[in-house]
Amino acid sequence: MTSRLFRSLSNIFSVCFVLVSVATANANPEFKRITTIEENSAQWQQTLKAAKGQSVYFYAWGGSKAVNDYIRWATREIAQQYRVKLIHVKVTDPSEPVSRLKAENGRTSAIDLMWVNGENFAYLKQQEFLLGKLWSTIPNAAFLVVDSLPITVDFGEPMDGFEVPWGIGQFNLIAENGVFQQSQVSATSLLDIAKKNPNTVTYPRPPEFHGTTFLKQLLVNLTDADPHLYQSATQQAQDELLPVLWQYLDQLHPYLWQQGKAFPSSAAEQLLLYQQKVLSMTVSFNPNQWLKEKSTQQISESSVRRYFTDGAITNSHNLAVPKSAPSPDAAKVVINFMLSEKAQKEKFTGVWGDPSVITSLFYEKATMPAHPELHSSWHVLIEDAWQQRYGG
Amino acid sequence: MAATIRRVAPLARIRQIALSSGWLLVFLISLLPILGIVVGLWPPEHITFADIEAFLGYQGLSASVFMTLFSAIFSTLISLYIAFMVYSQYHLSRRLQSFEKYLAPLLSLPHLAIALGLVFLFSDGSVFFIDSGLPRKGLSTLIIAIVIKEVPFFLLIFSAIGRQLPIKYWLLQGQALGYQDYRCWWFLVFPALLKQSRLALLAATAYTLSAVDVSLLVGPNIPELFAVSVYRWQTSFAAGDQALAFWANALLLILLAVSVLILYGHEKLAHAGCKALATTGSRFQIGKINPVFKAWLPMLGLLTTMMVLVFALWSLGFNWHSDSFAVTQLTTRLWQDEWLFFALPLQNSWLIGVFSGLLGVASALLALELQRQKGKYWPDYYWLLAIILPQLSMVLGWQIMHIWSQGGYHSGWIVLSHLPFTFAYAYLVLKGPFQSVEPRYELLAASFGYSPWQSWWQVRFRLLLPAIFTAFAIAFSVSIAQYIPTLMLGAGRVPTITTEAVAIGSGSQQDLIALYVLLQSILPFMAFFVAALLARRFRGSMGGQDARDY
Repeated sequence: MTSRLFRSLSNIFSVCFVLVSVATANANPEFKRITTIEENSAQWQQTLKAAKGQSVYFYAWGGSKAVNDYIRWATREIAQQYRVKLIHVKVTDPSEPVSRLKAENGRTSAIDLMWVNGENFAYLKQQEFLLGKLWSTIPNAAFLVVDSLPITVDFGEPMDGFEVPWGIGQFNLIAENGVFQQSQVSATSLLDIAKKNPNTVTYPRPPEFHGTTFLKQLLVNLTDADPHLYQSATQQAQDELLPVLWQYLDQLHPYLWQQGKAFPSSAAEQLLLYQQKVLSMTVSFNPNQWLKEKSTQQISESSVRRYFTDGAITNSHNLAVPKSAPSPDAAKVVINFMLSEKAQKEKFTGVWGDPSVITSLFYEKATMPAHPELHSSWHVLIEDAWQQRYGG
Repeated sequence: MAATIRRVAPLARIRQIALSSGWLLVFLISLLPILGIVVGLWPPEHITFADIEAFLGYQGLSASVFMTLFSAIFSTLISLYIAFMVYSQYHLSRRLQSFEKYLAPLLSLPHLAIALGLVFLFSDGSVFFIDSGLPRKGLSTLIIAIVIKEVPFFLLIFSAIGRQLPIKYWLLQGQALGYQDYRCWWFLVFPALLKQSRLALLAATAYTLSAVDVSLLVGPNIPELFAVSVYRWQTSFAAGDQALAFWANALLLILLAVSVLILYGHEKLAHAGCKALATTGSRFQIGKINPVFKAWLPMLGLLTTMMVLVFALWSLGFNWHSDSFAVTQLTTRLWQDEWLFFALPLQNSWLIGVFSGLLGVASALLALELQRQKGKYWPDYYWLLAIILPQLSMVLGWQIMHIWSQGGYHSGWIVLSHLPFTFAYAYLVLKGPFQSVEPRYELLAASFGYSPWQSWWQVRFRLLLPAIFTAFAIAFSVSIAQYIPTLMLGAGRVPTITTEAVAIGSGSQQDLIALYVLLQSILPFMAFFVAALLARRFRGSMGGQDARDY
């Protein structure tokens, strides 16, 4: 999910999830079984029946035409197949439904379905605002690619059936081929590029989510993926690892766009600057965005996708149903459709290009080598320290 | 005889009831902002004073607060003086007096569109970029964008006020005393206009203090502007951020109070200054740069045309930066694609705007009339609370109350949530003209045997018509522009053109953003244009375009 900062509640969860990279996973197919109901079970038939004629108010970010068009397509399909009316409530910020659920405080909600991840999910789960057991009551959850993608844990917070993965985010750069010639980027090569092309490289201002992830990728690269990064951040680990990043940024910032005295406010703004050829690179969480933007002539023909040598930091964006939703059955029917082969295929091959999360459509080529998220405690630390050092 | 007395008594009671229910209504509307902010800002139990430390320790806080306050006050005052100079130029020239209709396009582009157009035309990587163009992000760009937008707003306010002031008479008197025109303007007209546009100044300052969208796009962000930090904390649910948001909102309230004080102080100083200059007769050269201001409106008109052209071309798929682009590739595909989806939001916006605009104007007139009858006017900032208080917290309070009421979601609630804003803007436009309606007309009406009601309706109301048109146009466009109340009370059940446009604006699809910017401007443009045309047909007590000499 774009344009939001995601902080997890670090101290509560010390779950460190090990992510097997795509290559290894395919070499050792070890399928985990997800226990859920069958399409033809009485329970699901009951859900379908109850859903008929209901409306589903779906709170989802509305800034991307590709996503909006995809949801319009899904709306038509769902109306035809299930007689359920899907209504996209376009929000600018994924925190809007969270704030509403907090205000409603358990009363019948205006929300049936929401697009969520990261800190918003952690907060909602902790506050017990979400409907549980989604995985075990939605038939198509059985096909989720849990063995090769990190989609059971959301920024350190186990999903536990309170949300269902919908798609995959992988951090990558969209860049001018002439400037970013190698297919992979390291901290050193980035500094070189910035020095040779001053004023054309930058990143969204942390705590914007893409900006923080950019810093995480640098930190991973500069410390050779130090194992401490995947555990709760101890004082010692901070003192050892973070200064490396700050020394690097001290070197990099003078060559950034506006000499690092201003940053784009969001990934969307940075993409606009890239489109206007002010910048030589922008950041994205959609591994196929570069292709889609090129096909609609939004960015130049010479644009390419680049990722960090350690692999792209990977996470999922998910669907959740509030506990107090007026039409939970219809919401489940929508989620089930969103996980269907038809919907996942359209999502990947259509205008949006978001990778599939179900086994039958899981292509290696659709994704980049994945790198696990850092332990969530680092997220907050990096943001706060960045603000202290560069933000004021 | 006895029968008459008996008949009078119920009439007086009816009048009494009408008066009290009028007061009740006005109170309810003006109390909504206070209720909202109290409920919305009610501290969650974990707020402690220890959090203040964390808040005050936030890196760059003082610089950010100072920049925000400076940009708000500075851009407002600069706009005020520019608008006054422009107004004086146009008022003096007979030919140019009906300038209001030229303001319509300038007024109808949203703030964000102006900022977007500005950086697209003049900054780094832009069409007309020269080496030292506008910084993409910086205080100067922010202030320029705000000034471009506020000057026409002040002009409109001046024009509404000016129709009720005996400006020509003052100028004649001044000339008779041997002052040049421009001196008369500064010494005689400026103090009067300044006093009556106090509310508009407050509104403009409050807007700039808390504007998030424009600040995000063109404001500096090392450190970022205060409104942006407040917004970020308020919408974050990470540990500690809600506590930061609480204290930040408290500081924002203090900042608003400080800017009210500064504006009052400025008014006092300006009055004293004008008085001192007038009596000492010292040299006062500001009249010399007048031609610049005569050119202001045509220049802005040109700028607006360029912006609209850029947006139109974008929406037709034109891309300045594409490697291979020909004009023949222009296409109306996007308009056709989106037509199905923007017709309903446009219609919703229009209906909500008309209802909340009319209700806002009516209740503002009611509030003014009730105060006039009482002979005492309440402090201005009380009536403008909806504009002055931090919007996000206030609307959050309304949202919570709306949820308590379990009243469902429909356009009625949205109209109600827009009402405090349309009321406040209508009030700020109408107050000056209302107070300066020439009392002798009503005296005359009374002497012809008109009842107070007849005299109000046929004299006062008719004299106020030009100002009422302006007030409605502003109230209508304010309603069109509301995003937060529409989404938070309507819960997505009632999409408007602004909820769509703002959502699209959070993305990066140039053509679509441009299309929605244009769509969002259409309704306000029509309102301002029609209001300007209508206003010309009616004269206030001191005349508009067709006024004969006093």
